Amino acid sequence: MSIERRRAAKLPNLKRRVLLPAAVGVAAAGITTLALLPQAGAAQSNNPSDLGNYGYTGSYIYGGTPSKGGGPITYEKLNPASIPYGKTLFLENCSTCHGVEAQGTTRAPNLQGLGAATIDFWVSTGRMPLADPTVQAVQKPPRFSRSQTLAIDAYVSSLAPGGPAIPNVNLTLANLAQGESLFSTNCAACHTITGAGDALASGVFAPSLMAATTTQIAEAVRTGPGNMPRFGPNTLTDQQVADVVKYVDYLKAPNDRGGIAIGHVGPVTEGFVGIIIGLGTVMLAGLWIGGRAK
Amino acid sequence: MITQTADWFDERLGIAKFTRKSLNKIFPDHWSFMLGEIAMYSFIVLLFTGVFLTLFFVPSSKEIIYHGAYKPLDGHKVSEAYASTLNLSFSVRAGLVMRQMHHWAANVFVAAIVVHLCRVFFTGAFRKPREINWVIGTMLLILAIVNGFLGYSLPDDLISGTGIRIAFSILLSVPVVGSYLAFFLFGGNFPGHSIIPRFYALHILIIPALIAGLLGAHLAIMWHQKHTQYKGKGKSERNVVGVAMWPAYALQAGGFFFLTAAVIAILGGLVQINPIWLYGQYIPYKVSYAVQPDWYMGWLDGALRLMPSWEIAGFGHMIPTVFFPAVLLPGITFTALALWPFIEKKITKDTAEHHLLDNPRDVPWRTSVGVGVLAFYVVLFFASSTDVLANSFQLSLNFVLWGFRILVFVVPPIAAFVAYKVAKEAGSVPGTGRRKRANVILRNAQGAYYTEQTAPRSPQHEEEVAEELPEEVVYHALDRNHHGELVGSAAPSGAGGPAGSPSHSGVDLGPLPSGGSGIFRIPRVRRSAAPDGNGEPIGGIGDRG
Repeated sequence: MSIERRRAAKLPNLKRRVLLPAAVGVAAAGITTLALLPQAGAAQSNNPSDLGNYGYTGSYIYGGTPSKGGGPITYEKLNPASIPYGKTLFLENCSTCHGVEAQGTTRAPNLQGLGAATIDFWVSTGRMPLADPTVQAVQKPPRFSRSQTLAIDAYVSSLAPGGPAIPNVNLTLANLAQGESLFSTNCAACHTITGAGDALASGVFAPSLMAATTTQIAEAVRTGPGNMPRFGPNTLTDQQVADVVKYVDYLKAPNDRGGIAIGHVGPVTEGFVGIIIGLGTVMLAGLWIGGRAK
Repeated sequence: MITQTADWFDERLGIAKFTRKSLNKIFPDHWSFMLGEIAMYSFIVLLFTGVFLTLFFVPSSKEIIYHGAYKPLDGHKVSEAYASTLNLSFSVRAGLVMRQMHHWAANVFVAAIVVHLCRVFFTGAFRKPREINWVIGTMLLILAIVNGFLGYSLPDDLISGTGIRIAFSILLSVPVVGSYLAFFLFGGNFPGHSIIPRFYALHILIIPALIAGLLGAHLAIMWHQKHTQYKGKGKSERNVVGVAMWPAYALQAGGFFFLTAAVIAILGGLVQINPIWLYGQYIPYKVSYAVQPDWYMGWLDGALRLMPSWEIAGFGHMIPTVFFPAVLLPGITFTALALWPFIEKKITKDTAEHHLLDNPRDVPWRTSVGVGVLAFYVVLFFASSTDVLANSFQLSLNFVLWGFRILVFVVPPIAAFVAYKVAKEAGSVPGTGRRKRANVILRNAQGAYYTEQTAPRSPQHEEEVAEELPEEVVYHALDRNHHGELVGSAAPSGAGGPAGSPSHSGVDLGPLPSGGSGIFRIPRVRRSAAPDGNGEPIGGIGDRG
């Protein structure tokens, strides 16, 4: 029997042996994929209740009477017993510029009635105490522990009523997609769309959001530190603030599916990598392959 | 079998002569001649990855509600172009790596063109008879930049949408015809619904076809005129010294293509570029700070940033400030660039043909002009990242901006002056750039030390290196004694065959396979065939007809 004829004889056998398992395999893979697809979608899909409450709920409480509700943002209840300790800390560290009663001096503004959230933001991010009031304060390791900071907050907010309390954000009740929409509309113009921050003008800059805690982000939105606009309850509801906070929190470690993120600053670093590493490597390869001057 | 097939075609098309000539064509071997190749190979990668992307990209501004794999944008109103790019990045197998390779290849493509242009400029390779190829090259550069911008704009994301907005304003700024131009291109006012499909047609069809056509012409003219070469031993205006097309050059170039593609693939797989899902859909009222174009548009963006907001009036109308940095500057840039061979000819009054390249130090004034102009565009390029530089180095944005406004006028003359002095200095030192000979420290009988220069590298030494090469490379070798004849020198020396005889080129055809007129028979010389072993072992010499 010639080789060709033997092959021909084996062909149907081969077909049965290979094609059938292959067909079964493809079908199984297809069914598995179809079965997995909706699940994969559902795993991250939004609970309809997340989309919920965008109206002003009235849970936004000013001054020293914080709420303990179950909303996306709850407000810190400050301990009145810590007020004397807070006063001591304030007198030691803040009163030189802000005055003994936080009433303000020629060097620094009046803090009375600004609310616990304002004080907490500036102290907990390390921006206060500030060495040089003529330049924009930068985030640095805070001088005070969390309990010391809360004591200062309690003392200053006890001096006069008013201002927002310290917000705690419940991210599980916040909506990421709504947060993206609000962030790109209200925040990206200065902080950049990736939250990396950027220089604005005349030494003013929008800081990077990567190091801010959820409470600090909500505080900044509500109190508008420095040049940042203040977003009050008539502009953004508690739910919307929580949504923005959730998106900013996501931006700290976003989906970098493409690989190394190279700073999230767009074409500046991309061009650098493309020219120096991309073309540079290929040119070295050319130097390796090609001839040299003789 | 192969011989029969080849003969079949040869008998009908007469391709044997051309193929034989092509396979034996000599290419000068120098790494700097491979810079243009990088651009060509990146272009091939662009074509392959681009075809893949067209299978999934939907060029439409139609608004849909996004319900895809990327949850932070779930339920958003997005354009089909943006949604399909997200889908391409998240749900299509290998879609993201293809998209990123496409983008990195574009960055490498334009960068390679620029570096290739610098090589051609500084070595004077654009001189007669290569002016046409220089003009084609500048057209390729313009098309590459334009197509890069169009491709960057297609995903319809926040960053690229801002770029389209700027492009619309630039078109509007052209006096008299601006508004017509802008409305013609955009099919109405910005943003409209026509721009994505129109950019798509330009990006995937019209401009790539132009690039491919001009690239073909660029290569055909290079092929016809033969490559330039650096001055050196055995090289003249009348010959080309190097390696032959087959197998040495073809394998070298083929390997280089794979290396280029590999670097682009590694970048595409490992380094994120243009993560449009983090940018979101372009909506005209939204804007992000830190918006830059891709690097090759950077000099235009930098010029826009540096231009003061003067209100310049002419003929009773105000000319928008944008016109000067964004229309006039590139107009002057590319016109002057394309006309440079003719400008230089006016200056030097040099009408001779040149096939030997200048060393940049040999022509200090041209090197100086090139470095100065290049410095101007490099400063503009860095000026496009004023905000990122200010933020990274904690400087005031205004300080950085004013710094660049001064640097853009100060740096170019300084760079040109320094380049002139360096070139002049290097050119006047004999032996600059040649390989140094080692000094050996010796001690004499009296115990005194002295140095002695080692002997120059012997041809024997060169040959030892050559012997490590595989035998296939060592072909088409020429008897040194026959050089004169081949290149048409007046005094042929040595005992070669008479001119016009079959062995006129000094090439021993060696043992040939059977058959009369095969294409693939390559004249070859075994090492023993070269008398006294003094041949040119690695390459060959082509006749510049």
